[in-house]
Amino acid sequence: MTDTLVKLPQGFALPEVVIEYRDVRKQYGEFVALAGVNLEVRRGQVVCLIGPSGSGKSTLLRCTNGLETMTSGEVYFDGMPLSKDPRKTRLIRQRMGMVFQNFELFPHKTALGNIMMGPMTVLGLSEEQARTRAEALLAKVGLSDKAGNYPANLSGGQQQRVAIARALAMEPEVMLFDEPTSALDPETIGEVLNVMKRLADDGMTMVVVTHEMTFARRVADHVVVFANGQIVEQGPPEQIFDAPKTTRTRDFLSHLGWDG
Amino acid sequence: MELNLSAVLDSWRFLLSGLGVTLLLAAGVTVLSLFSGTLLALGRLYGPRWLSAVIVFYIDSMRAIPVLVVLVWVYFALPIATGLNLPPFWSALLSLSAHLAAYVAEVVRAGIQSVRPGQVRAGMALGMTRAQILRKIVLPQAVVRMLPAFGSLLSLAVKDTAIATVIAVPELMRRADAVAGQTYAPVEVFTTVMILYFIVIFPLTRGIDMIYRRISFLGRS
Ligand SMILES: Nc1ncnc2c1ncn2[C@@H]1O[C@H](COP(=O)(O)OP(=O)(O)OP(=O)(O)O)[C@@H](O)[C@H]1O
Ligand SMILES: [Mg+2]
Repeated sequence: MTDTLVKLPQGFALPEVVIEYRDVRKQYGEFVALAGVNLEVRRGQVVCLIGPSGSGKSTLLRCTNGLETMTSGEVYFDGMPLSKDPRKTRLIRQRMGMVFQNFELFPHKTALGNIMMGPMTVLGLSEEQARTRAEALLAKVGLSDKAGNYPANLSGGQQQRVAIARALAMEPEVMLFDEPTSALDPETIGEVLNVMKRLADDGMTMVVVTHEMTFARRVADHVVVFANGQIVEQGPPEQIFDAPKTTRTRDFLSHLGWDG
Repeated sequence: MELNLSAVLDSWRFLLSGLGVTLLLAAGVTVLSLFSGTLLALGRLYGPRWLSAVIVFYIDSMRAIPVLVVLVWVYFALPIATGLNLPPFWSALLSLSAHLAAYVAEVVRAGIQSVRPGQVRAGMALGMTRAQILRKIVLPQAVVRMLPAFGSLLSLAVKDTAIATVIAVPELMRRADAVAGQTYAPVEVFTTVMILYFIVIFPLTRGIDMIYRRISFLGRS
């Protein structure tokens, strides 16, 4: 267990269901982005959200840690509803790491400085403690030699690995990924997916919005197919990719050129 | 025509001390307008609605009124209207700063708003407070992005001091006027003044441009 990317929570008392979405709805004016989503994410599970563009995957992910407000419905984290109280919301956000499509590294901080930001400002770690933690995480994502680089001097794949390390520095219980490889050159996608795969192997609970069907197929425990703000099918990857039950899933996969 | 250089050479101490006053006034205006302009921008962006409205009105008025009018008003009208009687230098410092602060506020606001919303989201996802995000993520990047505009504001801060001559602040322009009148050598004296302003301002704006080119990546998300 020394070589793991995450500290597993000592989880006897923690509930089995980490995130529960209960009838989550989101409207932008007349437009319905989420039309009542019900979903459970269990501890240690990797859940992949797939579906056509505009189907509401990112919106659901942002509702998970309160970056987006729901029109109605409820999201429970460890059995606690997401609150309107900003202090409680911040406490929940600290325990959910988030990785963005465009990395969103802080350009005025080095790779190391990016990773130290959360622990120092939010967790109150000393600079020394934060540095130790950041150096260990950089090593885990294979970027020890880039500690002093600014984001401008990192490739896309390297930036995304730093962004993953930045999220892990908060020692979260859950990691949320929003199309983490969509902005990457094909040759750097693999290095990011490898880091995510190791994270999954270490037992991290992960919710991943992705268009990488091979990754979903190999790594996911549970695949959720979205269309028009609704879940049209969910199940183990074997079911979704080899024996889809709905025409919406079949249409989506064949549209992507997926042939099993 | 004959150039009468002795007109300038004989009074160079007098002219240079004028330049000293110009620089002192410009430095004061820079510091005061940066400080109050930043406060105005923050108040406009993050303050309650009534405060935003007041600040927008202030900025719009300052941008619609010539700086010379503000200066003359502060020096001649303010004492009568309020009983507050400021000496020329302080009147100039106050009016020039109040005027420039409106432009600083606009630059700061544009700088803050140009930082990508994703950067704020990244800070929120870490569990940071609004204030922490502003201080540690948005403002550092905004400052870098604002540098080129600050260069222009800085040159304005120096140039605008010249109008303080109308209320007899003994800065460079006022001194030059006096020397030119006594020596009947306006060409020599005012050419010297032009060169002096140029020597001060040109390296300032060029220097800031150079710094910006070297650190612009720190603000590019
Ligand atoms: N702020 C907003 N205002 C209006 N409509 C919005 C807003 N944000 C998202 N939408 C709409 O909500 C729908 C769902 O968006 P969302 O980003 O969740 O889709 P997605 O499934 O993540 O798609 P993609 O694969 O392209 O990222 C889209 O049709 C989008 O246009
Ligand atoms: Mg999306």
